[in-house]
Amino acid sequence: MVSLELLGTPILQHIILAYTALFASIALGIPLAILALYSRPLQRIVMVMANLMQAVPTFAVVAFVVPLIGIGFWPAIIAILLRALLPIIKNTWVGLSSLDPALIASAEGIGLSQWEIIRYVRLPNAYPAIFAGVKFAAILANSVAILTAMIGSGGLGTIVFEGLAGVNMMKMMSGALPAIGIALFLDTSFGWLEKRMVPPGTR
Amino acid sequence: MIDEIQTVWIRYNLTERTIEHLQIFTIALLLAIAIGVATGLLLYRRRRYSPPVFSTLNAVQTFPDIALLILLIPLAGIGTVPTIIACVLYSILPIARNTYTGLISVSPELLEVGRAMGLVERDILIKIRFPLAFPMIAGGIRIAIVFTMGIVTLGGIFGAGGLGAPLQTGINLMRSDIIFVAGIWVGLLAVILDGIAGGIEAELKRRFGSW
Repeated sequence: MVSLELLGTPILQHIILAYTALFASIALGIPLAILALYSRPLQRIVMVMANLMQAVPTFAVVAFVVPLIGIGFWPAIIAILLRALLPIIKNTWVGLSSLDPALIASAEGIGLSQWEIIRYVRLPNAYPAIFAGVKFAAILANSVAILTAMIGSGGLGTIVFEGLAGVNMMKMMSGALPAIGIALFLDTSFGWLEKRMVPPGTR
Repeated sequence: MIDEIQTVWIRYNLTERTIEHLQIFTIALLLAIAIGVATGLLLYRRRRYSPPVFSTLNAVQTFPDIALLILLIPLAGIGTVPTIIACVLYSILPIARNTYTGLISVSPELLEVGRAMGLVERDILIKIRFPLAFPMIAGGIRIAIVFTMGIVTLGGIFGAGGLGAPLQTGINLMRSDIIFVAGIWVGLLAVILDGIAGGIEAELKRRFGSW
């Protein structure tokens, strides 16, 4: 087993990698989905891209980044972002658009502005869907962040691939097990957060 | 351009790699469908086991795919077999969950009609519940196709061959021509398979779907 002190840095790197990409995709995905609500062409482009891209194997996405952007930390972030963005955009859009039209009509009826309708009616009703998307994206980011060690991102994947190259089972496990631990932690904590944050009326 | 593609294609045996890739994919998907539908059906018959089974499968699904492949090394080594096992482990959940949901969420009126016509439970399951669950099951299989395609490609790192192998070579040698040819080809295959599955799903929805 790799000693705990040696594991600290890769775990930290892994978490920074996955979370930077995750937050970037939330910051990019949710506004994009809101914009798509008001622009038909954008909506079509976003949804077609989202559906097509989702089918492409992760390994291919990570590989494409190498000739297009290069190797290292930031290219890895882009690769993870490309993966995590899709479920967030898709779920946010579905949540925002599949709202009962009567709710929108009554919001307009009481004189809310477009912005207020998004802020107080559409978004709260879309929270469960958005949450599901973010949770899925978080787990995906955690998974892709191991693979990106192939393109020099550092983190737990580096230990995994070193172990793999040297046929060192202990080393592989000490890279893989913390990643599984992080995944299970993400899953439970998101379940807990979801219970607290989703407004009672929209469940 | 075409010359370059051809050179890479021949030099890295992409025809054989594609066949390998699709073989692993087909075996894994068929196994996942068989096990997934069976699991969904069993859980429908023994409903109290469904929460623990689904939460276990859910937990497995959160595991990073590479970590799962590494956990499988002591059990199954590296190569094709563990790759297939990993694909199946990931794909059981969507198929079983959709089968289960499809079977239980048939509208009570339809079941009533079935009973009124004198069908026994077994016939109701085969003639009413299953056909109405087809679109849901197809939806689960479509998700499984995307997972399986992803993990088979990843299997290239673990000695399973397939189109992941030239991708890895491309990354290691920093050769953009290999990455582009193999990457676009595997991406295209995945999009086509997903499209076919989507078409089948839509057709089943049209024929059997009341959702």
